[in-house]
Amino acid sequence: MTLRILFAYFLMITGAAFAVVTVLGLLRFPDVYTRIHAGAVVLTISAVLVTIGTAVYVWEFFLSLKIMMIGMFFLFSNPMATHAIARASYKRKIVLPEQYEIDAYSDYLGRDK
Amino acid sequence: MTGLLKKILIIVVLLFTTLALYLNFILMPEYQGLKTGVSNYIIQSALRDTGSLNLITAVLYDYRAFDSLGESTVIFGAVSGIVLILSRKMLPVSSKGLSFIVKRTLGIITPFIGLFGLYVISHGHLSPGGGFQGGVILAAISIIFSIVYGSAFDYRRYSPQKKTILETGGALTFLTIGLAGLFFEGAFLHNLNFLTAEPGTLLSAGSIPYINIGVGFKVGAGLAIIFYSMIQKTFEEDY
Repeated sequence: MTLRILFAYFLMITGAAFAVVTVLGLLRFPDVYTRIHAGAVVLTISAVLVTIGTAVYVWEFFLSLKIMMIGMFFLFSNPMATHAIARASYKRKIVLPEQYEIDAYSDYLGRDK
Repeated sequence: MTGLLKKILIIVVLLFTTLALYLNFILMPEYQGLKTGVSNYIIQSALRDTGSLNLITAVLYDYRAFDSLGESTVIFGAVSGIVLILSRKMLPVSSKGLSFIVKRTLGIITPFIGLFGLYVISHGHLSPGGGFQGGVILAAISIIFSIVYGSAFDYRRYSPQKKTILETGGALTFLTIGLAGLFFEGAFLHNLNFLTAEPGTLLSAGSIPYINIGVGFKVGAGLAIIFYSMIQKTFEEDY
């Protein structure tokens, strides 16, 4: 049980705790956008922390590099997917924008066509 | 009168089918428990017979390769039927695709998906995977093009004609290797033993990697054709 293994366990346990927070957010938040927020932000850092912890645990150069690349893909793909879901649900009016006091996204619509 | 004739014909056909099934069935050896089946033989001697580290691939493309040929024929039939029923116009109406962020992010990720699919196909005899699995991953690229960039982009990049050529090329690779087995080794789809190298290297296991590549491209192109034929209605607005 060296210091490196302890650090790897610390990273993995922190990532698992963030995953639990994600589940709490998905269950307890009121509507679709806040749930998407929980899934995007917290789940991404959870997966990245678990992959970094695994890379520290195995501690071989190429194996760790591969695991870190998996973490990089999480960092790219998870916010992208949640962005697509949020945008589609906004445009489909899953939750009407009138229910919110602030609707900042409507100012930006039509820019990225 | 014709009804009676039809009934007699049906009964005769059923009797012949029953006889054929019975004759086939009594050839099976008696069940002797799990310990003494064919699995023990495969576990003990598949590496020596085929040179493939992945025993499932050894079973799929060596011991019962004829059955895999039948499976890929089933995929070919499914693709033909779906294209026949759901054929689209040559220049389809396309959606605009998803937003800028998704397009650019998938521009980064898609080459890695293709690399992973080719890895799964080409290492099918060494690690878990193989032609069918890697082909599905390759088909995901075409599906991503259709959804994210719009189906016109998919049409321009990989048109259905190119996919048909890929699929036919895969099937022809499979059949050519089968005929080469008949020619060199004396049995249809026999493993080409003169190609076998040391087990564990990339180009080992006889003809199994080449069959894997053929099946991979065939399955990938076939699934891409199925998906492309099924998007009938595209949405006007972009998401």
